[in-house]
Amino acid sequence: MSLSDVGNLMCLPFDEIEPGDPTDAHEYLIQAAANLLGSEGRNWIPLIVQEIGLEQYRVVGNAFVYAVAAAADLKEVWCIIADNSPDTVTSTKALSREMIPQTNLSIASRDEIAAALDYLIRQPNSPLKGVNLATAVARMDASPRQYWETLQPITKLGCRITAGKKLKALERIFYLTPAPMPDVIRDRSLLESFNAKQLRDVAKKRQVKGYSKMSKPELVEVLIAA
Amino acid sequence: MNCASMSRSHLEDALGKLLATIPPEAPEAIVKHQFCKPFLNALGYENLEIWPEFPVGRKVVDYAARKNIDNDVFIHSGANPYVYLEAKGRTENLIEGHSDYARAILQLKQYLLAPQSQSVQWGILTNSAVTQVFRKHGKVVYPVTPCLSFEDSRGLVRDVTKLIEVPKRSLVIAIYNNKGGVGKTTTTLNLGATLARLKKRVLVIDFDPNQGDLGDALNLPPTNGKLLSVLDNREVDIREIITSYKFEHPRMEEPFNFDVVLSDRELVNEIDEIKLRQKVRPHALLKALDPIKDAYDYILIDAPPNWRTFTERVIYAADVVLIPARHDNLHSLQNAATAIAKLIPTVQKARSQTGNAGPTVLPIFLNNAHKVPEAQLRLMHQAIARIIQENRRGGFDLTSYFYPRLKRGHRDLRMIYIPYMAHIAKADFHHVPAAFASNSAFEQYLNLAKEYFVQ
Repeated sequence: MSLSDVGNLMCLPFDEIEPGDPTDAHEYLIQAAANLLGSEGRNWIPLIVQEIGLEQYRVVGNAFVYAVAAAADLKEVWCIIADNSPDTVTSTKALSREMIPQTNLSIASRDEIAAALDYLIRQPNSPLKGVNLATAVARMDASPRQYWETLQPITKLGCRITAGKKLKALERIFYLTPAPMPDVIRDRSLLESFNAKQLRDVAKKRQVKGYSKMSKPELVEVLIAA
Repeated sequence: MNCASMSRSHLEDALGKLLATIPPEAPEAIVKHQFCKPFLNALGYENLEIWPEFPVGRKVVDYAARKNIDNDVFIHSGANPYVYLEAKGRTENLIEGHSDYARAILQLKQYLLAPQSQSVQWGILTNSAVTQVFRKHGKVVYPVTPCLSFEDSRGLVRDVTKLIEVPKRSLVIAIYNNKGGVGKTTTTLNLGATLARLKKRVLVIDFDPNQGDLGDALNLPPTNGKLLSVLDNREVDIREIITSYKFEHPRMEEPFNFDVVLSDRELVNEIDEIKLRQKVRPHALLKALDPIKDAYDYILIDAPPNWRTFTERVIYAADVVLIPARHDNLHSLQNAATAIAKLIPTVQKARSQTGNAGPTVLPIFLNNAHKVPEAQLRLMHQAIARIIQENRRGGFDLTSYFYPRLKRGHRDLRMIYIPYMAHIAKADFHHVPAAFASNSAFEQYLNLAKEYFVQ
């Protein structure tokens, strides 16, 4: 017989549970739900908690239920005991919609980028309101994003995403795990994202003749062919 | 008789005998283990070319097969599968319209459209009583046969073998809505141009003689009697009337190009529908396209906005039908629904009588629909809800045609759309496809092409 409570639905004294990340729900929703529940009620939607010590628990999901239970003055609340891995906390918060799951832009598919951008554009008061979804998706998908170390290059794609508020909005949802830059770069989109000085440096390293007099498009062509 | 055909005949006999021993109520496991491998053998795949329980991402398709190429033995490498086979029990009803059938199709489509299945060209669904063959062309999966019965197993095996051995390269897309002014010609032209920019071989056919706008948009004059002669006279080859269209720009290294079949001025005068029906048979266009199906990746046909002889011929010739509609035009939505629920099924029925299936209707997309006000959007959804409800009474569920993203437990009512863009409207005046002249327009149509066609 296992002595672990992980996975069990348990009725725990409210005092033994720490709140974890508090909910930012409006007071009205909490009070009105507490009135519906009453002080003798049972929370059929359980709290998701982790065991952090002997008879000590911390909320990792459904923080709204915790706030309602507090407002309703419940003495005992029904909880599901989750395991202690950090992944559990992340997935539980995503499932209870207390956190926006992030997307790895370095390796995301076109559909994932489209879904993430569409979500951001549709948020109330989104700074990205004027961004054209199809254009932004096409340009982000075609860019050498696997090598990006920051999201800054997005501002150079000409899809109306500028540094500041708009880029900050994107940072809420995208993260990067950049691949190391290849020794010999022949990827057109990557070369085109460099400025003329950077291209000359690459050309110098690769011992391209007459590089100092070449224009940016010429340098790109030479480096692809070299 | 050579050795290969003798052994093929032997395998067909063996399959026929095996079929007689399979219990009428055989569950999936029996079909999977007793029947599927001999069936694939009869279709020309040897044991080293068949992989049972083939992993597709986190899922598993019952069988994958591919001919061995020199030293590349399929069951050693598992690389580049060519055909998937999904087995069901005889207890499951694989007749179109049944819920078992719908579930099985959904499952097969998931396997075929998985990122790991890029090389797969065919999907076969069978319960050992019937079988159906699906073609995968990029992102489109469509049936190429109706549900075929194993009563004549020898004939079935030969038909299916012939079909899957040499797949046709092209996907024939009809762009149709019974309602005019929804942007059929613009969609045909720009979708064709976008696919051409993606280095696909594209043929665009202007089959709307009354308007002939497509040719005009490219500044190409209509022909005189040429298209009609292809349709009513088997001696004239469609290749003779193909024109090449090229878009050049000093800053472009290579020109963009696609081929065009222009509309026929003479067809405008041919107003006698009865005579036209006598001259141009239902399969006329389908047959006319046959010699060029290996020359193109996509053949797009601009259909006229009505349901008369020409339109029927276009729909008959198509593998898939793409229906543009407008958010602010109730009739375009109603007409789209009528086409899907009533008109196109008549063609599907006629084609299934000749042993092939089609055309498949793709989800409706909204043209010219950017920044639709909330109130207008609400009105449109209400209208669509009414249309869906009315058709449901007639036994036809249109939900997935309007809302392709709707899933179980997720009320996602987003539709596919092309926004209004000045670039698109302006390009017509310059007689150039907007997708060639403007990168923003290209990106919109690229989105559409990726949504429907390109994997």
